[in-house]
Amino acid sequence: MTDNVQTTGKEMGQCLCPVCRKTNPVNVTNCSRCGADNQARDYGSLQKSWALLITAAILLIPANVYPITTLVNQGKVTHDTIFSGIKHLVHSDMLPIAIIVFTASILVPWLKIIGLATYLTAISFSLPVSKRRLMAGFHIIEWIGRWSMLDLFVISLTVALVNMGQLLDAKPAPAATAFALVILLTQLAAKVLDTRLLWDRLDLENDKH
Amino acid sequence: MDLQYASMHHDDIDNSVILCHACDLAVRRRALPSGVRALCPRCHTALYDTPFCSINGMLALCLSAVALFLPANLFPVLELHFLGSVRTATVFQGAMAVMDLGYWVVGIAVLVAAVIGPGLLLLSIMSQILLVKMGLNPGWQRDLYKWLLRRHGLFSQITMLEIYVISFLVSAFQLSDFSDIYFGVGTFSFTMLFLVTLFLQREYNIEHMWSRLND
Ligand SMILES: [Zn+2]
Ligand SMILES: [Zn+2]
Repeated sequence: MTDNVQTTGKEMGQCLCPVCRKTNPVNVTNCSRCGADNQARDYGSLQKSWALLITAAILLIPANVYPITTLVNQGKVTHDTIFSGIKHLVHSDMLPIAIIVFTASILVPWLKIIGLATYLTAISFSLPVSKRRLMAGFHIIEWIGRWSMLDLFVISLTVALVNMGQLLDAKPAPAATAFALVILLTQLAAKVLDTRLLWDRLDLENDKH
Repeated sequence: MDLQYASMHHDDIDNSVILCHACDLAVRRRALPSGVRALCPRCHTALYDTPFCSINGMLALCLSAVALFLPANLFPVLELHFLGSVRTATVFQGAMAVMDLGYWVVGIAVLVAAVIGPGLLLLSIMSQILLVKMGLNPGWQRDLYKWLLRRHGLFSQITMLEIYVISFLVSAFQLSDFSDIYFGVGTFSFTMLFLVTLFLQREYNIEHMWSRLND
């Protein structure tokens, strides 16, 4: 860091438009360029983000416990959960594919929920955690979150291709809906959060680097 | 007099200082070499990069993407050969297949991320380019332009072409366990659509598009 003096927009009486990123004075109600609401901080975003995250965390249980696909192969019916599907891939020597599916459907959702929970706890209770590290984590979470969609794409293609009655038939199972909702809710939880709150509430002494 | 001073002061801030959208730090704007991105010194969020946003370049990419959009969605992206019978699936059929079985949340998610999202994104960028070419006159042109720019973040966030391309490969490998899988014209068109859209999104600069409203 080269600048020793750090001024925030709030201290200067300026505020960044969340939609078009124009700087507006804090006392105006709407952005002069795009007309969006002009707010120095969105304090309600913390509650909204918690609500979405908790719902997602609850849905993660059925998403992992219930089967996500049902396969009929020559009259034999098998139900696969996310985890058993990955085990199949490992056993049929498709390790690279297994790693991709594991990352998209287990690692990413869990990382996202644990990461966002850590993040929200740190803001809500002003925990002494390095903000810089939290923010780096948040950027990773934002970026990898969408990759969970991979599993849903694979399911939809498989179901469309494999429908030959008792001989060979693939169908989605209840965990698919729960999993889709987990993706949607975690994306929203990260999206609604006003990250400027983190930098306001935690004091600088936790940031020795 | 006071008011005039305030507005002058504001303009001054507007041009030389930008605020970090993640942590609200005021950062002095500096000229950047091309291909370099300015990061916030406090929280390392990307603040801005060199606005490289040629309208004609974007128009060319946008037209190619629109041309690829139809074959990418109409032709099968995967073909399955099983005991002499051939099954094909387009992106749209994949989404409809899960919806028909009652999994409409999954179906809508697939449809939005792979068909509707990319379609809206391309349509929106195309309209923005045409509006700029028409001169962005006050009235409906400016209003429509603003309306589209406000939604750009949403459109690009729900577009997940790159993930769909990877899912071809994963599905093909998984199904190769009990059948023969072939890629079709749709696979090629879809992959090309992804690449062209990727370059279009790199060329596109939302702040540059907003700044066209200033003058
Ligand atoms: Zn604005
Ligand atoms: Zn920052």
